[in-house]
Amino acid sequence: MTYDPERPRNTFCGRTRREFLWEAGGAFTSVALAGMLSTDDFLGAQTVAADGVTAWKNPLAAKPPHFDGPAKAVIFLFMYGGPSQVDTFDYKPDLYPLDGKTIEINTKGRGGTRNQGRVVGPKWRFKQYGECGKWVSDLFPHLGGCVDDIAFIHSMTADAPLHGSAMLQMNSGRILSGSPALGSWVNYGLGTENENLPGFVVMLDPTGGPISGAKNWSSGYMPASYQGTVIRSSGTPILSLDPPPGMSRQAQRRLLDRLREYNEEHAQPRSENSELAARIASYELAYRMQQHAPEAVELSGESEETRRLYGLDQDRTKEFGRRCLLARRLVERGVRFIQVYSGGNHNDHNWDAHGDLVKNHEYHAGGTDRPIAGLLRDLKQRGLLDSTLVIWGGEFGRQPTAEYAEGTGRDHNAYGFTMWMAGGGIKGGASVGETDELGNRAEVDRFHVKNLHATVLQQLGLDPNALSYFHAGLDQKLVGVEGAEPIHQIVA
Amino acid sequence: MPATAQSGRSAAGTGLFLLTLVSAVASGQTAQTPADGIKLFEENVRPVLEKNCYMCHSDPERAENGFLLTTRAGLLRGGERGPAISTSEPALSLLLHAVGYDDEQLQMPPSGRLAEADLEVIRQWVLLGAPFGGDEDELTEVAPAEDAFEITDADRAWWSVRPLGRPDVPAVADPDWPLNPIDNFLLARIEAAGLEPPPTADRRTLIRRASYDLTGLPPTLEEVEAFEQDRRPDAWERLIDRLLASPHYGERWGRHWLDLVRYAETDGYERDRKKPSAWRYRDWVIGALNADMPYDEFLTHQLAGDELDNPTAASVIATGYLRLGIWDDEPTDTELAQYDDLDSVLDTTSRVMLGMSIGCARCHNHRGDPIPQTDYYRMLSFFRGIAPYKVGGGNEPTPENYTDWIPADLGTADAGGPPEEGPPANLIEVLRVKELGPEAPPTHVLIRGNPHAPAERVEPGFPLILGNADTGLESPGPDSPTTGRRLALARWIAGDGNLRTSRVMANRLWQYHFGRGLSPTPNDLGRFGQEATHPELLDWLATEFTARDWSLKSMHRLLMTSRAYRMSSRPPENALQVDPGNDLFSRFNMRRLAAEEIRDSVLAATGTLNLEIGGPSVYPPMPAEVLATASQPDKAWGEATPDEAARRSIYIHVKRSLLHPLLESLDLADTDSTCPVRFTTTQPTQALMMLNGDFMSEQARALTARIDGPDGTVEDRVTEALEAVLARRADPVEVARGVGLIEELQREEGFEADAAFASYSLLLLNLNEFVYLD
Repeated sequence: MTYDPERPRNTFCGRTRREFLWEAGGAFTSVALAGMLSTDDFLGAQTVAADGVTAWKNPLAAKPPHFDGPAKAVIFLFMYGGPSQVDTFDYKPDLYPLDGKTIEINTKGRGGTRNQGRVVGPKWRFKQYGECGKWVSDLFPHLGGCVDDIAFIHSMTADAPLHGSAMLQMNSGRILSGSPALGSWVNYGLGTENENLPGFVVMLDPTGGPISGAKNWSSGYMPASYQGTVIRSSGTPILSLDPPPGMSRQAQRRLLDRLREYNEEHAQPRSENSELAARIASYELAYRMQQHAPEAVELSGESEETRRLYGLDQDRTKEFGRRCLLARRLVERGVRFIQVYSGGNHNDHNWDAHGDLVKNHEYHAGGTDRPIAGLLRDLKQRGLLDSTLVIWGGEFGRQPTAEYAEGTGRDHNAYGFTMWMAGGGIKGGASVGETDELGNRAEVDRFHVKNLHATVLQQLGLDPNALSYFHAGLDQKLVGVEGAEPIHQIVA
Repeated sequence: MPATAQSGRSAAGTGLFLLTLVSAVASGQTAQTPADGIKLFEENVRPVLEKNCYMCHSDPERAENGFLLTTRAGLLRGGERGPAISTSEPALSLLLHAVGYDDEQLQMPPSGRLAEADLEVIRQWVLLGAPFGGDEDELTEVAPAEDAFEITDADRAWWSVRPLGRPDVPAVADPDWPLNPIDNFLLARIEAAGLEPPPTADRRTLIRRASYDLTGLPPTLEEVEAFEQDRRPDAWERLIDRLLASPHYGERWGRHWLDLVRYAETDGYERDRKKPSAWRYRDWVIGALNADMPYDEFLTHQLAGDELDNPTAASVIATGYLRLGIWDDEPTDTELAQYDDLDSVLDTTSRVMLGMSIGCARCHNHRGDPIPQTDYYRMLSFFRGIAPYKVGGGNEPTPENYTDWIPADLGTADAGGPPEEGPPANLIEVLRVKELGPEAPPTHVLIRGNPHAPAERVEPGFPLILGNADTGLESPGPDSPTTGRRLALARWIAGDGNLRTSRVMANRLWQYHFGRGLSPTPNDLGRFGQEATHPELLDWLATEFTARDWSLKSMHRLLMTSRAYRMSSRPPENALQVDPGNDLFSRFNMRRLAAEEIRDSVLAATGTLNLEIGGPSVYPPMPAEVLATASQPDKAWGEATPDEAARRSIYIHVKRSLLHPLLESLDLADTDSTCPVRFTTTQPTQALMMLNGDFMSEQARALTARIDGPDGTVEDRVTEALEAVLARRADPVEVARGVGLIEELQREEGFEADAAFASYSLLLLNLNEFVYLD
């Protein structure tokens, strides 16, 4: 007997699929079916909710934006731990000669509040790049070549100079745990364009997740449909994606066909309950995910040139490069929001350079510079950069002064730091905001994490001050009840 | 609040505008006329304001903080912090303080400090009395904008606030249908809609419904058949009594309560530290419910079990309730974090026990309900005596504030006096509340909820809309370890006079039995919630609840012996058209099992479930992929013996940053805020875990091993497996289908017999029939 494992047998208790749906009283709904059968106009017209009246919507079905936004997808390159702005993109020539000198300066970080400190001069030279003449440190020779596509925000501020709360704020807008992540909001607002893959994907560092783990991609008070799914860049990409040992795809198809027979028989006298049909469909979707997800993370079809572009040919960059390349592949396949972590675990496994700044930043910048530049170039050459918003930054920055009596380590700094964005309708070659002459505090055009989030939503065509979710008696918003303006100066 | 701001606030209009000008001149400013001031405004000040301030402070409808910078009256009125300029001491004006960036809490504009030249211009202008030109320049005082608060007749008439009467039981056309008054209330509405109620469900459906409802566990085939064959007239009542007497009742209903109080065993945030002995609180909840502790006592012990006249170890453990929330052990702003913690306690308490969103009034008067901001702080002050996790700076919390070693027999008849010598041997570690002493720190209304902007001082008091009864608070003696405030709060919340508490819990009881509350928003019976579909029934139940001395088990019996509870879930004729949302309860609501029920049922079906009750939480194996999401994968989770791994789901360690993936995907309650109704999502990731996960593979093998009989035919084994999983007799078509799959897998896919059977076992555990209740 020949058996096509990709083709579910349309038994439907001996009826055609259409008859089955019709008998289901037009009350046939599902998370999956809307997408699975979306070419079927008949179904489109018949899809109603459990009450038999209300038009039913898949929570993750693609939704129209509030207005036309240039961006369709987001890649958030999260530099966990907090990169130092004065050593990367915020050029402060006056700081070099102060190296080693103790000065009056107000700082607040892990080590508490201080009013003086020993300056650690920037440890790298800066060079000008591109037509915009942007000063970039020697940590990023490859990214330097991309500055004309990048808008730098040098005056970022956040509410907390400590990882736990700052991570939550950068990811969810609030320092208190329990709110949905940025990626959840985006999927809530726009849905996903490919129901065979999760709409909100997170890729972690091999050393581990960031602190607070899954809280950083939690859907908080929203349903679990909007939470981030961790995709691994090697091995099985999604938890429980692989059938158990010994279960071939074809064998699983057989199992699923029988399961469906039982379930359809069970559903038949309960046709008003659309959840039953939804659950039947979710197994088909899972089955298709098993096929599509490995394909999405399979890099063998990528050319040598592409692999080199992302640094897959070098030990130092291949790990992060792989995740960047995957991010591009996921964008191509309609995934809405992708977060890629540089750094994991604690201390020097990420950008948290409390001890040896040079060693720490050489390591992390060295592992990411070429892959990120490769990602920007690749997106551009494929015509994807215009519709893909790329964000770079950590949960905060670092102080211009030393944390300890000895050494070059810098403490956290939430009162002034740099992030950048590229693509997705962002003005290339722009720089907005300024910190003081020491790079310590944002002084000119200060922006808050909320403004960054508002910009992301706006570029996706969502009004940050209108996108709301009713919870606990309030129309909750990512940018908080008081709202926030996008950073207009960096929008093309 | 800094002195300058204070003087700005308290500035009383003591002079005329001209006098102000004179004083400015006298204080050494360049001699200027009013005309110079107006010129300065037009030429230099207005452009600065337009560029930097008017985005937020020019539209009378939407001005940030209510503060308008477009008129002199706006400056005099100011925002929530009071007048922005002082006519008596212009140099101390709040406006100058804000633009001067002297104060971390008030820096305007927020986008960055103005240029020095702009600041100087504004300073000069304010010293000249801030003239705009025009009539208003003569003003010296403007009444502050009141966030007007008044309780209206409409507020008092709101359905959940109205006095709790004892509604008449309505008459019905079919007097034979009702078995108790609940049925009259429902049937009257069903009849009025022109519908007929559905028939009673069959006995297998009923025993499955009742077993899951009261214990969260499936009945066995033997139990189903015994019930089917029980012809005694009170077979149903006997079944309910048996289930209510089961120790697993407390596990099921305890889980409902744990959802409400956002139970978790860690603090969250960077270290996500374990809350010591939190599991004792979980066990206390289970035990109290099993013992049918009256609900008023149940609440009182959680709020103030330590303040009782004779606290026991159990009542002290109950106060762990006040220590379940998230806590950042290195807050940026310690004072704010302490208020956030108290807010979480007050918000949870008011939503869970009172069905009220008092938390909405933290920053301003409630936008929907008659709850002024002062009510929030008066209620908050009941908790102000609580010792914070940490006082002052540093990264480590102070364990003595929230844990304790107490005698296990504290307050019981067995408790002996202090030991003759040496420490008592029976001390147990508990998570508990502690207070700072007999005096609580003062509580102030906080402007915009900001702890660094205190306003008027308030004393403990109950919400105005709920009667504002006397708190009965007296000063405790100087040696008292606590203020007694929480006990006063508990006595009011759980007092017989508090109709709100019984209404809220009656609604929850209905919700958990019937699938949806009479009000579908059980944590908010106010204007942001949804009105009850059957307010009279709810009131009737609420009065019944207090009349039955707050006995939950008595209420379960009442609700479950109604005919309504026994209705079929099959919609009768026209019901879907007339009552599409089932607002009339014109049929029973089908439901998917909750996350814990699904996992526990799998274990039960395969014969591996370990029904041990209570004790420290367990750590069933966590997939490596999930551990990899933790910041320290090798330290993130513990280990369990196979026996421990087969415990009921309520005993799995609840770590805020690392939840059990199968349970989480099946819509586990959020751990960070109170969860009154769980979501039921349907997602492919659930299917992946149910088909491919290690746990499910193991369970399928366990079921295979359980069924394994050397002599049985494949038909026999398939029949036995079907019956074990579904607790009903299998029909031949179903058996043939199973045999067909097993043979197909062996023949076409080369499976060994056991592997083929295990695949079929896996299929059974994925059936909709297995995870849905009629």
